[in-house]
Amino acid sequence: MKDIVIDYTHRQAGHCESGATSNLLHFYGKEISEPMAFGIGTGLYFSYLPFLKLQYAPMMSFRNFPNTVFHRGMKHMDIDAGVIKKFRDPKESMDALDRNLEQGIPTGVQVGCFNLTFFPPEYRMHYNMHNLVVFGKKGDEYLISDTVMETVQTLSYDDLLRVRWAKGAFAPKGKMYWINQVPAEIDMRNAIAKGIRKTVYEMTKVPFPLIGVKGMRIMARDIKKWPKKHGNEKASFYLGQVLRMAEDFGTGGAGFRYIFGAFLKESGQLLNNQALLEAAGMMGEAANKWREFTFAGARNCKNRSKPEEDYDALGEKMLLIADMEASVYMKLDKILI
Amino acid sequence: MEDEPEKVYTDDRHGQYREMLYGYDKDGNFTKQVGYHGASERVILQQVWDEFKDRIEDARQKVLSGKASPILYYMEKNLLNAQDLATHTGICVWFVKRHLKPGAFQRLSEKKLKRYAEAFNITIDQLRKVE
Repeated sequence: MKDIVIDYTHRQAGHCESGATSNLLHFYGKEISEPMAFGIGTGLYFSYLPFLKLQYAPMMSFRNFPNTVFHRGMKHMDIDAGVIKKFRDPKESMDALDRNLEQGIPTGVQVGCFNLTFFPPEYRMHYNMHNLVVFGKKGDEYLISDTVMETVQTLSYDDLLRVRWAKGAFAPKGKMYWINQVPAEIDMRNAIAKGIRKTVYEMTKVPFPLIGVKGMRIMARDIKKWPKKHGNEKASFYLGQVLRMAEDFGTGGAGFRYIFGAFLKESGQLLNNQALLEAAGMMGEAANKWREFTFAGARNCKNRSKPEEDYDALGEKMLLIADMEASVYMKLDKILI
Repeated sequence: MEDEPEKVYTDDRHGQYREMLYGYDKDGNFTKQVGYHGASERVILQQVWDEFKDRIEDARQKVLSGKASPILYYMEKNLLNAQDLATHTGICVWFVKRHLKPGAFQRLSEKKLKRYAEAFNITIDQLRKVE
């Protein structure tokens, strides 16, 4: 096979998948910024699942399921995209990738983080929801654009195969996606309206108590109970999990709330909508409160056996954030776009 | 994988990676900048790696004193639990838990050992002993 290098611009972004979506659209000549792709693809989410354990602590998520941002984004913007959800054979998945590259199509793949050789070692955990774009092949090395990294990276055939077939929860099974054709005009008003409506539904109206704002309130209640129930050591470890999920690599800070606020602001300016701009301001304030929560919580994680901050106060802070976010979604629900 | 995560993670290594951070300033603008992680992020990451390190060290001591099989050590080293290891190897959880005992490990066939070694990405000889 000849060497292939597709003329693809790598731009760093806060979140892996919305960054990849934005970069793929840039390749096809559409300027959709990263917050815009994140908002239209309804990346914002909250779920708290205490009965599932991730790294020995309760599981929670501040983002939507893997590949939602790309799929919904494409659907809402009426763009023709191709997806292969899973392969049976690992070799076949790599052949399909090679065929795509030969046709000059940059292709996104879902991978696991644990064996990703260029990744910072402290982030190599079993986390299978990472996304990157493959845009070329030189000999045995694939050219990789991973939007959370600053520069273009390379992976060998074996390494790429291993991360594409990582096992565990949300196993990628060689999933890949690409864009076929982009229409000349994208109806941004429609796309933004659909994205906001879906986000509001998922954050406030899902009829299940652990999802959205309701889930945040339940988690706040649980935070207050942790030191009595599990002791100080474990309570600080559980709290650390909340903070890691909110502030880890590839969230853009404050559990994606900054990115979503930037999306509201940008769409408000695009559509000349004053109410959207106000909502963006409220979201920014809520995101700043998340940051405060992180700084306060990190003090507890540092001094594990003797908490510096009261867990009751942290729970109250969390409830306050939940109220602030709820008011944003209520406002968004009433806006007619 | 050449470098082991539990050895690599130190504070001075942290400065090598910069990520995109968003923010909201007093004037009501959303800002975007490339920067290093702050001290609070370092604390919460250090916490989880300390937990992993403790578990790996515990497992190592258990294996060296003959209370557990090397599979326990390599399982903890790969940040897995018995449930995850079952999905990685395709061996039922009940059997995986059994193979964590030294006696059951001694009687394992080459075929089963190979499956464990593949999941841990090491050779069978490496799997038999713990450094």
